[in-house]
Amino acid sequence: MRASDLIHLLPELILLGGAALVLLLDIVWLRRAEERRRQLLPYVALGVLLVAALGLIPGGGDNVSVATMLVFDPFALFFKVFALLAVALIVLLATPYMQTRTPFSGEFYALLLATALAICLAVSASNLVMIYLSMEFLSITSYVLAGYFRQDRKSGEAALKYFLYGATASAVMLYGMSLLYGATGTTDLAGLVAGLSSGAAGQSAWLVTPAIILLLAGFGFKASLVPFHQWAPDTYEGAPTPVTAFLSTASKATGFAILMRVFLVGMGAASMASQWISLLVALSVVTMTLGNLTALRQTNIKRLLAYSSIAQAGYILIGVVAVVSDSTRIFTGINGVLIYLLAYLFTNVGAFAVVTAIEDATGKLEIKDYSGLVRRSPWLAGLLFIFLISLTGVPPTGGFLGKFFVFGAAVQTRMWVLLAIAAVNSVVAAFYYLNIVRYMFFVPAAEEGEPIRVGRPLQGALAITAVVTVLLGLIPGPVILWASESARSLLLALR
Amino acid sequence: MQQAIFIILALLTLGAALMTVITRNLLRAALWLVATFFGIAAIFILLRAEFLAVAQILVYVGAISTLIIFAIMLSRGIMDPDQVRFNGQWGVVGGFAALLFVVLAVIVTRVPWPAAAGGAPVGDAPADAIARLGAAFVGPYAIPFEVASVLLVVAMIGAIIIARERE
Amino acid sequence: MVPLSWYLILAAALFCIGVFGALARRNAVGILMGIELMLNAVNINLVAFWRHIGPDQMTGQLFAIFVITVAAAEAAVGLALIIAIYRQRNTVNVEEIDMMKG
Repeated sequence: MRASDLIHLLPELILLGGAALVLLLDIVWLRRAEERRRQLLPYVALGVLLVAALGLIPGGGDNVSVATMLVFDPFALFFKVFALLAVALIVLLATPYMQTRTPFSGEFYALLLATALAICLAVSASNLVMIYLSMEFLSITSYVLAGYFRQDRKSGEAALKYFLYGATASAVMLYGMSLLYGATGTTDLAGLVAGLSSGAAGQSAWLVTPAIILLLAGFGFKASLVPFHQWAPDTYEGAPTPVTAFLSTASKATGFAILMRVFLVGMGAASMASQWISLLVALSVVTMTLGNLTALRQTNIKRLLAYSSIAQAGYILIGVVAVVSDSTRIFTGINGVLIYLLAYLFTNVGAFAVVTAIEDATGKLEIKDYSGLVRRSPWLAGLLFIFLISLTGVPPTGGFLGKFFVFGAAVQTRMWVLLAIAAVNSVVAAFYYLNIVRYMFFVPAAEEGEPIRVGRPLQGALAITAVVTVLLGLIPGPVILWASESARSLLLALR
Repeated sequence: MQQAIFIILALLTLGAALMTVITRNLLRAALWLVATFFGIAAIFILLRAEFLAVAQILVYVGAISTLIIFAIMLSRGIMDPDQVRFNGQWGVVGGFAALLFVVLAVIVTRVPWPAAAGGAPVGDAPADAIARLGAAFVGPYAIPFEVASVLLVVAMIGAIIIARERE
Repeated sequence: MVPLSWYLILAAALFCIGVFGALARRNAVGILMGIELMLNAVNINLVAFWRHIGPDQMTGQLFAIFVITVAAAEAAVGLALIIAIYRQRNTVNVEEIDMMKG
């Protein structure tokens, strides 16, 4: 590592300094200050995220590898922008919500900046040591965030379950990593693929498949793939709503980013690729089917969105299994995954922003509480409608664009059975998404409520997510280009 | 000679580990856990990884076990001797764990690891192993080293937020 | 000399004992102890591989040191969560910590 490498680490350093700044401001300057001044803190956090985004410019995507630990390629750059956007939206979501519910709202923003740092490291990590460390960094910070309401029993339960499942999953993943190290003598992903395709151990059928399965426990936990999803419903339901929004988008995307990098770069040789592809096909099928079928009978909106989020992970996985190494194609599978994740970020955070607004005003989270919403707050109902049709995958929304690219890749690789299952699943999913729409627009409310007041930051989050969700469907060109460019650096590794 | 020592150590370690997971009283289980950690430290010495053996004792015995014992004592109810040890599926889980062991044992013996024939070490452990570790931490592993320290700070802040007495 | 496979089998056995503890215990602290055993098993693997396939490169030992560090951080946060839960409900039995269903 040289001093000149630090330029590439600029965003990470800014995030680290920013997290420390927020923490210190909270303790030194704002703790005893009047309430008005304390409300500046989220804007400091937003400022840090903005400066970190500017820090991506000098050395973001130059394909430079630093000390074999981190690689700064366009793929990592995509996910860093993604992470900064996601955390900024979560800050907006949390701003009225957390401040009234916890005395530690300053630390909350500092921890959110730490998660952004963890994601930036995780998506750049090109060495098993670094991957493990940054994943755990993200996990440990997320456990704290999920259990942030110390007095709230559901929040504590959410965090404990998340922790117990997460720690077990990471130990299993680690066992797989130790076997890979034993077979190749290296933990560097590039060295791994070389060692696995040349050495006797790598050729052994006894090594690669078990190692893939063990690794999948860790990645699947983050991405909430069945059967590593058991934590998700309880954690999503019990965690503070902005944290749920974070876990279902940014944290999940990180799981996918690591999964793609490890499998495509570390196990990209054809003989190994066929093994992880067939395993992932099975996971994709059970993930979307189980997620959708269980979502059908949910009555709590956060829990419904949790199962929907599991099911969406199944669709996203289709893009990974339909990967083609020819990066000149329109559908490369990986670009579909990136587009899908980006669209899902805005759509799902938007949906959770509506949920946060309603919970903040009424404290209610049941789907039946949404009846008559259109009369009470037509704007919120209209926005949630946009997000729900995007989750369903109806044009012209970002959700449609994501599904189009993921399913298109599957058509190209002729995965007809998988496509048929995915199509049936999409129809099933439409039922429960549109059921919420039915409640909002057609079921009269039991009692007339006052219009729901939405704070400024949350209004900002709603406006941004809704506009981007629609724009992704109307003007998809730039995003398609960006995602395809970003996917290219990984596809080169696939042989 | 070494083989005999290994077998004794391995049996002691596994026995202590087994007691850790089946002892009814959690405080006793925690003490068995400490014994397991010592056994593993001895295995590390057998592998000529002295630094790790010391780190193992300092961190696992000195910090993690102490934390666990603190947690047990702070929540006295969980030392209740009449409590049920296992959940309803412990039989199934036991079968699964045994099966998993067979599978893992087959895997680790079948894979032709790039070690010398007979499985003996390819060379001696370097005499300057600790110096090499230090050089690695400020060299190629500088970034993970920094990340690990940030992680520890964040974990500390998080633990304080969550466990602090309510005001 | 002790062959590599002996160490690996020891680690596999320890890992499975840990898996049993993590999945069968009712008490959250008991589960955490099982997880610690699993992490220790991984460390035996890492150090044994280091000794047998490339003692010149310190990779295996370095990895193990990071595992130990992370385990400490994880235990601190986990036990904090467990204590917070105990304050709320006077129990840390995971079967009783089950408000949410469906």
